[in-house]
Amino acid sequence: MSASNDSADLEALFDSIATDYQPVAPQPAPQPAPVPAATGDNDELQALFDSVASENVAPPPAAAGEGQADHPDNWPQQEAVFNRIGQMARILHDTLGQLGYDKLIEKTVSALPDAKDRLAYVANLTEQAACRVLNATDIAGPLVDGMESRSRDLGAAWDKVFANQMSPEEFRALAVETRQFLKQDLPGQTKATHAQLTEIMMAQDFQDLTGQVIKKIVMLAQELENGLMGLLIEVLPEAKKTEEVTNLMNGPVVNAEGRTDVVVNQEQVDDLLESLGF
Amino acid sequence: MAADPKTRFLVVDDFSTMRRIVRNLLKELGFTNVDEAEDGAIALQKLQGGGFEFVVTDWNMPNMDGLTLLQTIRATPTLKHLPVLMITAEAKKENIIAAAQAGASGYIVKPFTAGTLSEKLNKIFEKYGQA
Repeated sequence: MSASNDSADLEALFDSIATDYQPVAPQPAPQPAPVPAATGDNDELQALFDSVASENVAPPPAAAGEGQADHPDNWPQQEAVFNRIGQMARILHDTLGQLGYDKLIEKTVSALPDAKDRLAYVANLTEQAACRVLNATDIAGPLVDGMESRSRDLGAAWDKVFANQMSPEEFRALAVETRQFLKQDLPGQTKATHAQLTEIMMAQDFQDLTGQVIKKIVMLAQELENGLMGLLIEVLPEAKKTEEVTNLMNGPVVNAEGRTDVVVNQEQVDDLLESLGF
Repeated sequence: MAADPKTRFLVVDDFSTMRRIVRNLLKELGFTNVDEAEDGAIALQKLQGGGFEFVVTDWNMPNMDGLTLLQTIRATPTLKHLPVLMITAEAKKENIIAAAQAGASGYIVKPFTAGTLSEKLNKIFEKYGQA
């Protein structure tokens, strides 16, 4: 375990600093040495330790104070704490086992990284698809605009023909240009546009792949939910069960059926704002 | 403020796809002077640099969310006059109310259409034109 390695390093560092700084109190110097994660653990450990200690009078809580925790003199007390934590973990494990949750938790722990990878895959594919479509529209847009302005110009020129405002030479040039446009330019541009439409269509191929992946994750989530719900119902105090989580960042409403606290379209947004006088 | 095609927009969304879509829609509507920011904090920096006349922002973003951005804009004397249109997937009524109370100029729920964006922009331009 990395934790024990850290402790050994820390201990050595602590000792070396402690000998340098004899007259001063030894606790502040070694603080920067531990990896940041270790401090978080210490707080939790401290809280757990305090709760255990208050119950079990033997080890004085001060012994686990930060900075001093790794001093060699404190090892006996630490050992007592670790033993106690070990016992608690054992009890928790047995209880969960009796309730049938050990298998569930085991499965969950192994399934979650897999689900994470799958979701990352979905995010990746959908992002690629979005980019492909946006690129295609970026290419097709100017093509269509070009066709539109070209035909508008030609149409205007032909209006002049019909209004008898064109010389025979101009008419001839217009006829040649129109022929060129109809036979070459236009088919070329529609073909290029069509290629982009095909690209947009093909960019939807993610749906099949993500659909399969998402189905798997939905199944996993359902199993997880069932298990965790069972656990929560047994463990949670009655009052907590009905508490609603209020939060303003929920993302899209996935299922609005039967809910009165959400809007489902823009009209409802507008109506709500209007009813409030905005 | 009329619907000047030179109006300088700042589009704030953490997803580049959505920024691109909004930018394209604005272009379709004739607004080509558009800059982007990927969260509220970056948006605020850009806004404080000056020159922007319209903010279109998402709600749920890292670092600084859209509501906080809106509140900060309204609390900053040099920025508080800016129209702020929210385009967000947040569809709870309390979200809409919170945004309105914080001084949002408009609220569009995702998924949205080009027509909705155009309508809301016009409405905001009209309102600011009168003011």
